[in-house]
Amino acid sequence: MAYNYVVTAHKPTSVSNGVTGHFTSPSDLNLIIAKNTRIEIYVVTPEGLRPIKEIMIYGKIAVIELFRPPGETKDLLFLLTHRYNAMTLECQMDGENIEIITRAHGNVQDQIGRPSETGIIGIIDPECRVIGLRLYDGLFKVFQLEKENRELKAFSIRMEELIVIDMAFLYGCQTPTVAFIHQDQSGRHVKTYEISLRDKDFQKGPWKQDNVETMASMLIPIPEPFGGTVIIGEESITYHNGFNYIAIAPPQIKLSPINCYGKVDANGSRYLLGNFSGDLFMLILEKEERMDGTVTVKDLKVETLGVTTIPEKILYLDNGVVFLGSHVGDSQLVKLNSKRDSSGSYVQVMETFTNLGPILDMVVVDLERQGQGQLVTCSGAVKEGSLRIIRNGIGINEHASIDLPGIKGIWPLRVNSEKYDNMMVMSFVGQSRVLQLSGEEVEETELPGFDGDNQTFVCNNVSFNQILQITQASMRLIQCSPPSLAAEWKHPKGKNISLACCNNTQVVIAAGSELFYFKIEDGKVSLKSNTTVEHEVACLDIGPVEGGSESSSLLAVGLWTDISARLFRLPDFESLHVEMLGGEIIPRSILMATFEGVQYLLCALGDGSLFYFILDVKTGYLSEKKKVTLGTQPTMLRTFRSLSTTNVFACSDRPTVIYSSNHKLVFSNVNLKEVNHMCPLNSDGYPDSLALSNDTTLMIGTIDEIQKLHIRTIPLRESPRRIAYQEPTQTFGVISCRVDSGERNLPGFEPLPPPASLTALNTSTATSKLLPSGGGGSAGGEQAVSEEQEIYSLLILRQSTFEVLHAHTLLPGECTTSLISATLGEDPTPYYIVGTAIVSPEEAEPKSGRIIVFHYNEGKLTMVAEKEIKGAAYSMVPFNGKLLASVNSTVRLFEWTSEKELRLECSHFNNILALYLKSKGDFVLVADLMKSITLLGYKHMQDAFEEIARDCNVKFMTAIEILDDDNFIGADNSYNLFVCQKDSAATTDEERSQMQEVGLYHLGEFVNVFRHGSLVMHHAGENTIPVQGSVLFGTTNGAVGMVAQLPQEFYNFLFEVQNRLSKVIKSVGKVQHSFWRSFYTEQKRDASTGFIDGDLLESFLDLSRDKMQEVVQGLQMDDGDMKRDATVDDLVKTIEELTRIH
Amino acid sequence: MGDFLEGLPSYNESNFTRFHADSSHRSSKPTVYISTKDYPSEQVITTEKTSILLRYLHQQWDKKNTSKKRDSQKANLSEAATEGGSSSKVARVNSTDSS
Repeated sequence: MAYNYVVTAHKPTSVSNGVTGHFTSPSDLNLIIAKNTRIEIYVVTPEGLRPIKEIMIYGKIAVIELFRPPGETKDLLFLLTHRYNAMTLECQMDGENIEIITRAHGNVQDQIGRPSETGIIGIIDPECRVIGLRLYDGLFKVFQLEKENRELKAFSIRMEELIVIDMAFLYGCQTPTVAFIHQDQSGRHVKTYEISLRDKDFQKGPWKQDNVETMASMLIPIPEPFGGTVIIGEESITYHNGFNYIAIAPPQIKLSPINCYGKVDANGSRYLLGNFSGDLFMLILEKEERMDGTVTVKDLKVETLGVTTIPEKILYLDNGVVFLGSHVGDSQLVKLNSKRDSSGSYVQVMETFTNLGPILDMVVVDLERQGQGQLVTCSGAVKEGSLRIIRNGIGINEHASIDLPGIKGIWPLRVNSEKYDNMMVMSFVGQSRVLQLSGEEVEETELPGFDGDNQTFVCNNVSFNQILQITQASMRLIQCSPPSLAAEWKHPKGKNISLACCNNTQVVIAAGSELFYFKIEDGKVSLKSNTTVEHEVACLDIGPVEGGSESSSLLAVGLWTDISARLFRLPDFESLHVEMLGGEIIPRSILMATFEGVQYLLCALGDGSLFYFILDVKTGYLSEKKKVTLGTQPTMLRTFRSLSTTNVFACSDRPTVIYSSNHKLVFSNVNLKEVNHMCPLNSDGYPDSLALSNDTTLMIGTIDEIQKLHIRTIPLRESPRRIAYQEPTQTFGVISCRVDSGERNLPGFEPLPPPASLTALNTSTATSKLLPSGGGGSAGGEQAVSEEQEIYSLLILRQSTFEVLHAHTLLPGECTTSLISATLGEDPTPYYIVGTAIVSPEEAEPKSGRIIVFHYNEGKLTMVAEKEIKGAAYSMVPFNGKLLASVNSTVRLFEWTSEKELRLECSHFNNILALYLKSKGDFVLVADLMKSITLLGYKHMQDAFEEIARDCNVKFMTAIEILDDDNFIGADNSYNLFVCQKDSAATTDEERSQMQEVGLYHLGEFVNVFRHGSLVMHHAGENTIPVQGSVLFGTTNGAVGMVAQLPQEFYNFLFEVQNRLSKVIKSVGKVQHSFWRSFYTEQKRDASTGFIDGDLLESFLDLSRDKMQEVVQGLQMDDGDMKRDATVDDLVKTIEELTRIH
Repeated sequence: MGDFLEGLPSYNESNFTRFHADSSHRSSKPTVYISTKDYPSEQVITTEKTSILLRYLHQQWDKKNTSKKRDSQKANLSEAATEGGSSSKVARVNSTDSS
């Protein structure tokens, strides 16, 4: 199949850029951050950052700037995408809603020109006269911000200086003036030019400075009254404005290159500087007031503030609070204090924003064996390096657990306690117990009036400071002060109570098919009415469901025999609605709940499936019936509140939390194996907690923030590069890299915690018989104090705790390029196999390397074999019991001999650099550095590979995967995805030898890894949509996505929906959807084909009903064998199901 | 110590005063903006298609020939000359598409 569905499962999280200003209103202080293709708008409030909106841009954001042209009361946003779409945007607030108005837009791409290696630079003149863009080497594009002209015409100016490092507009200039750092053979220089708009050319600028520091990398324009620039180098910081030149070389900036700055004061007297080690500095421009009243810079000072995340963008917000946007670690909100804390830092972290990027490698595993995959990624770099465990669902953090088998029900109680629950009732077969909660201690207690000799069905605090306990035998009303039995009710004919429910003021009791309705009064319960229903009652609920009300006029009942859900009006049991559920499985739990102001009726059956309906509280009418499968066992529904919203916990063998997001119910798995009963608990020792029980244990825990993907961080404090999972040893292998640069401790600051490879339980150092460089014992990093060197380690982590059990340091100068876990040949031992390259700065390509076979057993890592290779082992895969490795330009197959040695069996040569391998059966897919992909077949008889087919287009590959026997997916370094197909049925050899490009798509993300697997559990028969396969991918910006295959008809249907949506949904900046998704490299541009944009499709669910109708109008869908007009509900159902595949 | 951190700019003194570390997970993700309204764009950004070499040659040519060839130039290019400086007049013949 060549029809694919691609969707984002986790949006990009790495912060590439950002701005502050007044965008949403003249008085709002906004933080706007760019995360690859999205921008997020926040407003600064007394409580912190309040999110306003996330905006999808049809392009990777290259430039983001706020500016305020004369006459505007608030700032406008200028954006430029990597594909050269420029736009100026205005935000209009209408109450809580915002509208983004595209004031100007257009594409500024040139037909010719070489894109600059130092990236796109976009700058705005401080007086908003012009915008300057450096897109191509040797050209500077300028357009005037003229209010009157309908057309803003950009023109290019030739720049003699080809290599421009950084560029800025100077403050306080009569004509727009740029200053820039450029590089030539003799070094780096700073130059200025005035822009003559009339001549469309540069004029000589006010000053220049040849031969600034050779590593000068950043130019900060300084506002009036100082004017001029600050030039940041690796060892020095210089102020220059033409006549005043001050240079300093503070020792602390030499630790690591400074990569970003943030302005603190509007007059430019203080700046924050960040470097790649996460040190935060303050640069202070000390002023001198002259006799004539002018102000000049007297001196520069740099102060170290502390260690933070590694920032990419520093944005000062307000009152000493700073946002640090990071690309290689979590972003942070920090506060600058004028006093040091105990560790010597002036910086205090207030809030952390998770970032998965850059994802270099990942594995999909099912550790809990629940049939649901989770991702473990190699994320971040340097000191922010970590593993991230990503799973769909919700995490429960366990705080206490008690071994208590056979629990049949749990309820919290508040006995003479104002604020907190202080008791908990537990029900067992034939008995009940009360626990006292004091602090974190739990002990059994007596509650006078409480019946401990029967199984409890319901126990709750009710009105008039009373407790209601309903057991099999009777209903008991217990007063709290002093605790004693106030009233008791038994079935008049002495029948056993079979079920009951209550709220604060009402009770309904079922005995077989009889129903009794009571009101709770002070000291008594009075029977108001009773009735007999057609069949025995299976479950019931009395709410209340009406907002804010203490009592309910509705009763929901599920019945045996006819398998129905019914609604009655109280007090007279007037039947309002009967809903036949169909099938033969009885309803086990029924619940009325309000989510986001909408009332629902949920009804769970004995087989783990759940029906849900919209409930009209006035009429009791049920509509919009839907069904999902949650587990396989009878399910119990309980409400709880988290973050002041209502949620429902579905107790079953696959516990699920049900909540509402954007007015849609979301079903999120919980990271527990089985839950039979739950109740919310809010005691002083366990505030805002949940009590959960299974067959053997009672557990108290807190629930994580409700979200679809749950992320856990395992900090490694060094860069993880490759990961592999080894099930037999219950371990993960991770290749990590640390930089030993000797002492980098700052005086007055506590040293940073050491990286994982230095703190493992066991350590070992590589020795090699094959490679002479294996003599050095640099593991401790002691000799080489001044020289920075990269040291690679193989880490073994325990699966259950992610504790680093063993760290094996590789040879000095040995760079590890690949890692797999595999068994080889007849040998049943699981091995970690590591591929390396010996890197030397003199060689363009590595000339030697090793393949090393390790075995981990009972805390011991042993090297079983090593094999020298002539290059870098870029990629390895297990291949029919053998080991397949790509070594520089070759693909080589190694056999595992009975002497436990690797022996070369055969090779294939036809690549420039064979970077990635994947295999399926006897097929091998090879990705080349630039020659796209090739499919090889292994010939057993000849022990050789033959080339079956190749894609003849130029593509610089970054990742590949085999979708099925005929289809192969790849990602290239121009942020595209493509699918190639081999055509075995073609008539000529030549046709067969060429793969066809059947899928082309611009993803806008740099994909580093594809893995087969899924983040969600698949239930047979649950989905009606015909989606097949699931390949996950991880990107540099921390996005996780998914590709699945569609049958042609369904593809055509979704394609039609996509086309309609792209017309109904207006893109910000007026970039056409077809343009954005078109396949794009420097060489060519092709229309997107073979892929459905799942992100666009899912946004259908966020449209208003009338816009949905507009999309659906005239849309035909296949209904079995007939074509018919699709309805809004049809499409909602289909797309909701599509959202559940990731 | 830390004098350099005194007097940090304040836009609104109350900002971040009620921030609580433990409620940090309160700052949920912003909702996604979707627009279905079509606002006409006031301005269109275009880029000059003329190669800078051509523009330069024209400029030079114009400078040299402003006096003697003025008449013929006007005659040839009058219908194209609707705006802007004389430098791009001839070039516009090459740049009919603007997207």
